[in-house]
Amino acid sequence: MGELSRSTIFFSDQHLCYADILSPSQVRARIEVAVLNFLKALSSNSPSISDLSLISRNSSNSRVSRGLLTGDSWIFLSHSFCTRSLTKENSAKSFIRVWKVMEICYQVLVQEKRVTQRELYYKLLCDSPDYFTSQLQVNRTIQDLVALLRCSRYSLGIMASSRGAIAGRLLLQEPDKEVVDCSTCGSSGYAISGDLELLGKLTMGTDARYIIMVEKHAVFQRLAEDRVFNQIPCILITAKGFPDIATRFLLHRMCKMFPNLLVLGLVDWNPAGLAILCTFKFGSIGMGLEAYRYACNIKWLGLRKDDINQLIPKECLVPLKPRDLQIAKSLMSSEILQDSYKEEVAAMVQSGRRAEIEALYCHGYDYLVKFLATKIVQANYL
Amino acid sequence: MGWDALSCNYNGTEVSVSISKSLDDLLAEVTCFLQKVQFSCLSADSTNDFSNYKEISVNYSFPWHFMQMILLKVPKVVMELLVGGDDSLGSQIGSRILVIEGSSVYSPVESIKCLKLGLKDYVRKHQTRFSVGENLKVGTGVANSSGSSQGNSQVVEAVVIISEMSELVPSSCIREQDMKTEVLYFEDFVSCSIAQSSLDALTNINWKSYGLALRSIANHDGSVMLEWENLLPDFHIHIAIHCYHRQVKQWVAENSLPDRNLVRKAVKCALDDLKENNQGVLLSRRALKMCDYAPDLAKTLAQLILSSNDLNFQEECCSLLGVQSQEVNMDNVGNCIREKIISVIGLNDRNSQKNKEAPTFLFEDDCFQKEHFMEEEYHEGEEAYNFLDL
Repeated sequence: MGELSRSTIFFSDQHLCYADILSPSQVRARIEVAVLNFLKALSSNSPSISDLSLISRNSSNSRVSRGLLTGDSWIFLSHSFCTRSLTKENSAKSFIRVWKVMEICYQVLVQEKRVTQRELYYKLLCDSPDYFTSQLQVNRTIQDLVALLRCSRYSLGIMASSRGAIAGRLLLQEPDKEVVDCSTCGSSGYAISGDLELLGKLTMGTDARYIIMVEKHAVFQRLAEDRVFNQIPCILITAKGFPDIATRFLLHRMCKMFPNLLVLGLVDWNPAGLAILCTFKFGSIGMGLEAYRYACNIKWLGLRKDDINQLIPKECLVPLKPRDLQIAKSLMSSEILQDSYKEEVAAMVQSGRRAEIEALYCHGYDYLVKFLATKIVQANYL
Repeated sequence: MGWDALSCNYNGTEVSVSISKSLDDLLAEVTCFLQKVQFSCLSADSTNDFSNYKEISVNYSFPWHFMQMILLKVPKVVMELLVGGDDSLGSQIGSRILVIEGSSVYSPVESIKCLKLGLKDYVRKHQTRFSVGENLKVGTGVANSSGSSQGNSQVVEAVVIISEMSELVPSSCIREQDMKTEVLYFEDFVSCSIAQSSLDALTNINWKSYGLALRSIANHDGSVMLEWENLLPDFHIHIAIHCYHRQVKQWVAENSLPDRNLVRKAVKCALDDLKENNQGVLLSRRALKMCDYAPDLAKTLAQLILSSNDLNFQEECCSLLGVQSQEVNMDNVGNCIREKIISVIGLNDRNSQKNKEAPTFLFEDDCFQKEHFMEEEYHEGEEAYNFLDL
């Protein structure tokens, strides 16, 4: 169904900008074209230093795609551009940074290797300390390169580190390896590789009826230890906070392979928790050229304001932080967020309070499982 | 003998020296002296025989403006040499007429070339022992007015020279006056005090676009001194301005105040000319900052090119750079790219005042790019938060 909706005339694909998933030789070719174009402009009769034109990754360049035949919606980026230029004082350094990351990616691809963002950070920190001072700066430059060359981060030879974990009623098999039963992996679960190519080759099998995305690793561990998947036929998945591309990729793949599975999200009651759920649901702008592919129709199970009112003692509520309020503001102004979600955000802001999932333990350590089961049976999710 | 003392006292209206020599010796030394100030004595008209004088004193007028006329390279100048002396018969005075010519090469002359040559000679004479030979960078500019109803147009000529000192000059030897520029100013072939309009013109020049920061401009009894901030220790600037009328019809009636705009235009033309013909000179602050990035960018590109296992790609890059295949190595490729980047920076810096060209982009073939281009303000370190951008 999802594929059909994408091919209809109602799909705004003429506005869609995306990053291609390319082979190493194709990416090398794009980089070589970039270098040759730069040198040609430098050596021409009217010589110039070319500017770098990147797809803008901000909300003004984001669009919403709403599936007509399905309830799926996702965020994508359109054709507005920003510039990195040596001739402009405030972007000269970021201009150089893009070239430096391009150089390393090219060398990685020539050597047919892959590096993680962390490894790249240390390499750049040592080679070019004047230009790179933080992991965040490296990550942003990588996204600049993705936006310049219009190829996915993975295609550039960059992997994210393994972050997410999965547990429950799922059988996984890597090519030429033994089958892994994720219900026997212990409380830590099965570590989700950062290698998208590997994840794409996994063979999977399940008898679960639900996939429960859990925001926090501690809660994931509690549920895995309690073997919740023996009481509720489910698969547990967590990104341990920020939804990395690999975890989103695997979740999306499971949704496609097992379309009858209901995907539910369990997050803290605060704007950041809802934002994490929305990233799984709609994608993200920061990686908007790729992330739109991995959006999935996840429902908000909890915590929600009714849960707070009925189940959480006031003593367990803590004040919202300034960052929460910033996120809340951003959520409220978002075009893609449905009204019921916005009402929840408004309630958060009005109360000035937030609550963690662990607050449910005041009713007992096994209460969380009962909470989940009750909500699923009642179909109490948004 | 005292010739050195003579040359140091050169800025008065008269200079005199007393010697006790024969006339022939005297004439030889005067000739030598005049050659030092670039005269060539073509003839001398002797009407007296001074050979019997025991003591000969030579008084001659050598006005300051006369020296300036040397600087202006005025084609023909005549000097009368008066020789007086005491002999047994008492005081005697004789005279000789010396015809002095400027360089015959520039006859008929363009006065701007004369001014240029003259300032170059002047600079050479005033170079310190640390100065680097002939390393003078020169720019000239001329601005004309359209002329009054009598057809008498005003011309302003400007010459700017940059001289550099040796890199080995110790900082203790850098004199305060090296950070200053005395503006040599002429009107109608005569050295004079700078007109207020010309002074205003100098104040209103956008020195920053030439990488210069003017700290102060002082006018002491008509002599203008420009003081610079943060001038490089090996850098010295010399400026000469000459304002004149093409035809002098009514010398007294004509209002000969130089047009401020013409002065400004002439000096600016000279600065632009200097910049145009000397790569890397008088770059604006913005261009200098860009040049700072050139080595890193060049090294990055060179490393990328040479890490490739695609020989066709490497060959194509080297061909574009003009690097021969047998010379391909990191240093050559990197240096070549760096030089090209710096050259383009300088070119764009020179052209930035004239026209703003549309930027060139790395990938020009995206038709959407031109339709939907929105330039985003990029702020270094910006932490603009978007909830879908965790």
